[in-house]
Amino acid sequence: MSIRHLGKPVRIEGVRKAYGAAVALDGISLDIAPGEFCTLLGASGSGKTTLLKALAGFETCDAGSILVDGRDIGPVPVSRRNIGMVFQNYALFPHMTVARNVAFGLEMRGLSRAEIGRRVDGALALVSLEGYAGRFPRELSGGQQQRVALARALVIEPDILLMDEPLGALDKNLRQAIQQQLRDLHQAIGATIVYVTHDQEEALFLSDRIALMDRGRIIQAGAPEDLYFKPANRFVAGFLGECNFIPAGDGRPGEVAVRPERTLLGHAAAAAEVRLGGQIRSVVFTGTGYRVIVDVAGRVVTALTDSDDKVARLPPGSDVIVGFERRHAMTFAA
Amino acid sequence: MAAAHIQNGAGYGRMLGRPAAGLPGWLGILPYGLVLLAVFAVPVLFLLRLAFGDAGFSLAHFIRIAEVPIYRSVLLTTLSISGMTTVLAVVMSYPLAYLMATVSPRVRSILVVVVLLPFWTSALVRTTAWIILLQGNGVLNRILMGTGLTSEPITFVYNLSGVLIGMTHVLMPFVVLPLYAAFRGLDLATVQAAEGLGAGPWTVFRRIVLPLTAPGAMAGAMIVFMNAIGYYITPALMGGPAQTMIAQMIADNITRELNWGFAAALSTVLLAATLLIFVIFQRIFGLERLMAGGGGTRGGEAFRLTSRGRTSGGILTAACGLLVALFLIAPILIVFPMSLGSSPFLSFPPTDYSLRWYANFFATSKWLDAFLRSLQVAGLSVTASVVLGTLAAIGLSRTGRRWRPLLETVFVLPMIVPVIILAVGLYYLFAPLGLVGTIWGLAIGHTVLATPFVFITVRAALKAFDTNLELAARGLGAGWVTMFRRVMLPAILPGILAGAIFAFITSFDDVVLALFLTNIRTRTLPKLMYEGVAHEIDPTIIAAAGLIILVTIAVLAINLLLSRRR
Repeated sequence: MSIRHLGKPVRIEGVRKAYGAAVALDGISLDIAPGEFCTLLGASGSGKTTLLKALAGFETCDAGSILVDGRDIGPVPVSRRNIGMVFQNYALFPHMTVARNVAFGLEMRGLSRAEIGRRVDGALALVSLEGYAGRFPRELSGGQQQRVALARALVIEPDILLMDEPLGALDKNLRQAIQQQLRDLHQAIGATIVYVTHDQEEALFLSDRIALMDRGRIIQAGAPEDLYFKPANRFVAGFLGECNFIPAGDGRPGEVAVRPERTLLGHAAAAAEVRLGGQIRSVVFTGTGYRVIVDVAGRVVTALTDSDDKVARLPPGSDVIVGFERRHAMTFAA
Repeated sequence: MAAAHIQNGAGYGRMLGRPAAGLPGWLGILPYGLVLLAVFAVPVLFLLRLAFGDAGFSLAHFIRIAEVPIYRSVLLTTLSISGMTTVLAVVMSYPLAYLMATVSPRVRSILVVVVLLPFWTSALVRTTAWIILLQGNGVLNRILMGTGLTSEPITFVYNLSGVLIGMTHVLMPFVVLPLYAAFRGLDLATVQAAEGLGAGPWTVFRRIVLPLTAPGAMAGAMIVFMNAIGYYITPALMGGPAQTMIAQMIADNITRELNWGFAAALSTVLLAATLLIFVIFQRIFGLERLMAGGGGTRGGEAFRLTSRGRTSGGILTAACGLLVALFLIAPILIVFPMSLGSSPFLSFPPTDYSLRWYANFFATSKWLDAFLRSLQVAGLSVTASVVLGTLAAIGLSRTGRRWRPLLETVFVLPMIVPVIILAVGLYYLFAPLGLVGTIWGLAIGHTVLATPFVFITVRAALKAFDTNLELAARGLGAGWVTMFRRVMLPAILPGILAGAIFAFITSFDDVVLALFLTNIRTRTLPKLMYEGVAHEIDPTIIAAAGLIILVTIAVLAINLLLSRRR
């Protein structure tokens, strides 16, 4: 399939949208580079899906503009935007076969029958569904339907590909397999992808860039590593991965945030730069090791240990040293 | 104590082995089954037998139908009028269903009332209203001539246009309701996906909306066609001689020609056609579709209007939908105020308002008697059909799965078979028994017509009833009767009440059975109205129509209040 360098840059400038008194988008600005996999991450009601629908043209904006490749697409009707979209429930046309579903967008573009056939075959090959052209959507599994939806969106060679929680309806194992396929696919075709999810692990795994949203605003946008290790505030630190909020120690005021995997216990903490005293509350076996919940001056602190760590064998109530290195402590204003 | 324990233990064991302990299925089914056999199957089959000759087997009557041009043309008229009505109903339903699906919830509930109110108002009242509106010196012609658009009255009624307007109005809700359900069942994302792939509004309609709503429209269309071919009142009152349909031909051969054999042959043809459509319907859509609207969104958001608003095509369609809604509600909106006028001449809007004609209605013994008799008959048939239908529904739920589809089909047949056939068959059966001209004969007939409605609503309520509740109650030590009274009955009561309301309206509105089974001393309100409308419409008839509309609104309001409380 000859989908290459599809990616167009997207610029979102001061987009606002309200439904009556409820503000869904409160002045969103975001630049997405060509070929970038950008994830809108947030809880439900954060405005991520509204922003996606505004990009697609399914909802109007009250203010602000959206530029694709430098062109304002505000006045462009949905059918002329050349944007591919994968819906949460796939939205396959139930009365059409897989091939007809994938061909639909090409038929709208008035391509010749031969060209349509060639490109449909290519798109189905891309998502490994060569033998399924004649099936109806209801005859496919959830994962296969998802791939048909992807093929249908990609075959029109869209300027941007929008995906609205496309893996939400799949079970965990299948989700992980498809995440890997999505990554590979993105690297192969280099499309600009705007991806919506509430699953922080999925966002970390897939994205070149994550825009974390809350109550209609972007709280922080950046590479996954930036958001994980340099969260702008407590909200970001708490939303992406787990976080312990620990007194700064050394007689300093305030608190610092330390990831559980950077939180040291027992003999591992003995040589740490910052050390605090605590009591073990509970120990949970997770397969790869143990999650140890420790009470530090009335705060709950979580640490991860190896499965052969002796700390894990201490009974609840035992005193234990909790420590961390200063370079692993994250500080922020709020 | 020990004995009680053992008893409970035994009960529990029985229950585990066979949850049917309690009311045996066959006992529930039996009463309705016997009634169907005695006053539905027997009269209809006796009637059909007459079609094949008095002595020995003969196809002479059928050959006559096929060979005499006038009968052939009646069959053709029946098919073409039914076909045209069906097409009109579908074409007019689309914009209305689209409008209903794309307005705010408040406007939507108004539109639902606009569809349901005429749907549940007696067909006779609606036909009467259309005649008042459309006749030579009717409301529409006076408006047209008053504004100078025409110089002389246009004949809207007693011809093809009259029949089509009347029948489309009466039968259209059968398409609107399933089509509206289909629109609501449309996934918004599916429509948006097509747009995103480059489809404009017309292409979205043609390639996505139309194919996905077509099953709903088809289901409605088949019900309309099936009803239309057996229709009696509307073509008889609003058509001319050229619009004679097969049901009128059957009635004519009984009442005027006294040719029972030929009427029976015509009935056989009509019944065969009706059952053929019913079987096709059942094959394609299943019986469920007849009972429920069908549809419902499979996950995702239902089709609606987004913040982008309507396209110009959408605005045009919505405007058409609004006109169709007006068409549906117009007769009620115009006739009801007219009934409050004081002039002996029909006029709209009335120059002054009074209750004069209602007072006249209640002061005239023939009207009052007929009204009270209608209530009496309705009371009898509602009681009987509620008992029969509820027992049958409970009985069916305790019958082996193998028999259920067959029994279910048989139990709704009185809704399918044209009323004219049942009317003629019961007349034939009841005349020698002295039941014609009594309210008992009519009440029995209405019970047959109304029980399927109770059966269907109670059956739906039972399907929603969690059988574990029954087991839980029995497990806690309740006997079957106690369990039924305290657990099952409260759960299915709304279904029984809804069925009772449908049964009441079925009985209260019936004209066709009353035409054959009552005489001048036992006629019901609809029959008296029918005689008046066929002869000349006087203001008291309009008051009677107004009264029937009021009763319908009251009954629907009760239903609404009861379903709200749930």
